Amino acid sequence: MFISRSEYDRGINTFSPEGRLFQVEYSLEAIKLGSTAIGVATGEGVILGVEKRVTSTLLETSSVEKIVEIDRHIGCAMSGLQADARSMVEHARVESQNHAFHYAEPLRVESCTQAICDLALRFGEGADGEESIMSRPFGVALLIAGFDEDGPSLYHAEPSGTFYRYDAKAIGSGSEGAQAELQNEFHKSLTLSEAEILTLKTLKQVMEEKLDSKNVQLASVTKDKGFRIYTDDEMAEVVGRLPTN
Amino acid sequence: MASVFHPGPPSGTPKYSFAQQPNTASEGARQHSFYPYTDNGGSTLGIAGADFTIIAGDTRSTSGYSINTRYCPKVFRIGGPESRIALSVVGFAADGDALKERLDTILKMYKYQHGKTMSVAACAQRLSHILYGKRFFPYYVHAILGGLDEEGKGAVYSYDPVGSYEREQCRAGGAAASLIMPFLDNQVNYKNQCIPGRGTGHELRQRVQEPLPRKDVEQLVEDAFSSAVERHIEVGDGLQMIIITSKGIEEIYKPLKKD
Amino acid sequence: MDCHPEVWGRPRYEIYGDYDHSHLHTSGPMQHTQQPIVTGTSVIAVKFKDGVVIAADNLASYGSLARFTDVKRLRKFNSQSVIGFGGDVSDMQYLDRTLGSLDTNENYSNSDQPLHARNLHTYLSKVMYARRSKFDPLWNAILVAGLDGEDMPFLASVDLLGTKFSSPTLATGFGAHLAVPILRRTVPDEEAVQQTTKDQAVELVKESMKVLFYRDARSLDNYSIAVITKESGVELKENEKLENQSWAFADQIRGYGTQVN
Repeated sequence: MFISRSEYDRGINTFSPEGRLFQVEYSLEAIKLGSTAIGVATGEGVILGVEKRVTSTLLETSSVEKIVEIDRHIGCAMSGLQADARSMVEHARVESQNHAFHYAEPLRVESCTQAICDLALRFGEGADGEESIMSRPFGVALLIAGFDEDGPSLYHAEPSGTFYRYDAKAIGSGSEGAQAELQNEFHKSLTLSEAEILTLKTLKQVMEEKLDSKNVQLASVTKDKGFRIYTDDEMAEVVGRLPTN
Repeated sequence: MASVFHPGPPSGTPKYSFAQQPNTASEGARQHSFYPYTDNGGSTLGIAGADFTIIAGDTRSTSGYSINTRYCPKVFRIGGPESRIALSVVGFAADGDALKERLDTILKMYKYQHGKTMSVAACAQRLSHILYGKRFFPYYVHAILGGLDEEGKGAVYSYDPVGSYEREQCRAGGAAASLIMPFLDNQVNYKNQCIPGRGTGHELRQRVQEPLPRKDVEQLVEDAFSSAVERHIEVGDGLQMIIITSKGIEEIYKPLKKD
Repeated sequence: MDCHPEVWGRPRYEIYGDYDHSHLHTSGPMQHTQQPIVTGTSVIAVKFKDGVVIAADNLASYGSLARFTDVKRLRKFNSQSVIGFGGDVSDMQYLDRTLGSLDTNENYSNSDQPLHARNLHTYLSKVMYARRSKFDPLWNAILVAGLDGEDMPFLASVDLLGTKFSSPTLATGFGAHLAVPILRRTVPDEEAVQQTTKDQAVELVKESMKVLFYRDARSLDNYSIAVITKESGVELKENEKLENQSWAFADQIRGYGTQVN
């Protein structure tokens, strides 16, 4: 009845002898296949940017939804299995509305991220008396951007249920190159429009397709306007401002 | 002669429901003869100032004409040491205690979950939902919540047993609410006070309300209670005051008449 | 506390009108306690500077019938506290069993601090409130006497509604009307507690038990009395007899003794 060494990735809640949960690690791999998403936090607000992989010329690009609203002051960008993100976002939206209903105040961005991550580890057999809801870990990572009483903030949430706050973060297939670029370019005094450019410039470097106003999407979270997805005109304007080289 | 066989306490004292046996059984569904509420008397009061809030209550607990104890506080600090919120509950004391403990845990859990102390406005909304959640078996209490709002101004919220609530300058609750509230209307909100020398009839002008200094409010609270003690049998023994300022929370106890 | 256990928690006539007697004619099963059956009367207690004295008589009545005359209504808990029960005797026995297993569990757990009277009172008040909230009350009025976590005298009460309060002197049932004024004459407040010795407190409680026997028709001259101090723990005597009774007052009162008119 010995489990062979390679079989530790079958039981999703079984640690390997090295102390690893393989299924969770594999789920992190799923994200590396996903499209690149970038978040940049500035003093004025947070910019989220994603690449839309236009796999066919017949694809209606506006139907690719990789940045979504959670509440008026919180939005998120995703990379990985989009369907999984739907249930996480749904959960976050409910938590956010519940908080506003019960406490007459907006949910904090960190609390929202925590609420999403609480969901992330509810896979497997489930503890005694507790119903488990998923058979496997989520295959998606989220960049959660928001503006609360402490100002703008950006969080990265993983399928493992861990989350960290970032000034700038890239996830998805191009994340390694993009993160290095962000590391070089980011500084604390970035303005919102500089962050728009930084986001697109970074995306441009890691994208396989040629960047245009149709295959990328930007969104911002600011104090005054809350979460906003850029319109086609605004996208065109920002893309037009990109330095050509 | 019939009175010889009449069960129950002698007439003149409060009659109880078992005193009269009906000749026929009443129709309809059987009802529980257990009544889960009682009234423990007492009175509470909350007044908001410019940069402070006072929540006060007497410390007598009663059952009918009996005094259970002369010291049973009904004003509580809730939410742990960093919190700046006080809650007073008057009515059915067991429900009051249960409500206080529920809100207290919620405030503490909120601090763990969101990394900040709850604001009074948030706490006020939450308390309303707690009360409303037991809409069909209510907490039989008149709750008053006090603290400082986001701008540092005094805030008093008052509730009915099923969660309707309102932010107010001042509110009296409990047995002597009807005695204290008109006094407060006049002395805090200057109701029925006119600016002197403006003439009569349509010339009369209401005196404008302005926030009272702390000394005056403390004196108003003491006067309100010492007057209520004179006219209401369920109020007396001791006065407990919780004063919330940006510097912290103070608690004052003063004796009231014990008769 | 009212002197008639059967009206505790009942709607008062002048507020709620006629009592609904339909439950007497029901065909369905009776699920919850609607009234106490076998009842105990008053429990009285007073704090003194080193501890608490508590007493209750040994009678369990079935309505007006003096049914059981050797019922111990003071129960010792883990040699540090005493609980006095008024009201329904079967509910008292249920609570006693519950507390018994609580004590057993506590002894098995490796906490070095045993439950003190304040813990016990909190626990009981939660049990009582939970049961009233289920519309299935335990029909008792309870006094908890002992020492708190700081070894200070502790005395508190809880009833079938979960109402809880504490005072230097406490009594349930008829005692709330007859004994409390006598007890309060000597021990009006916490300050007076410090001036009161054990002997004074015991004498006071015995005197009050005597007055209760004179005037409470559901009482007995056979009683239990317990003294809880830090020095001696619980000293519980369960078969005391009222001493120096004087019924001289009775023949002054029309209708009290043998004279009829």
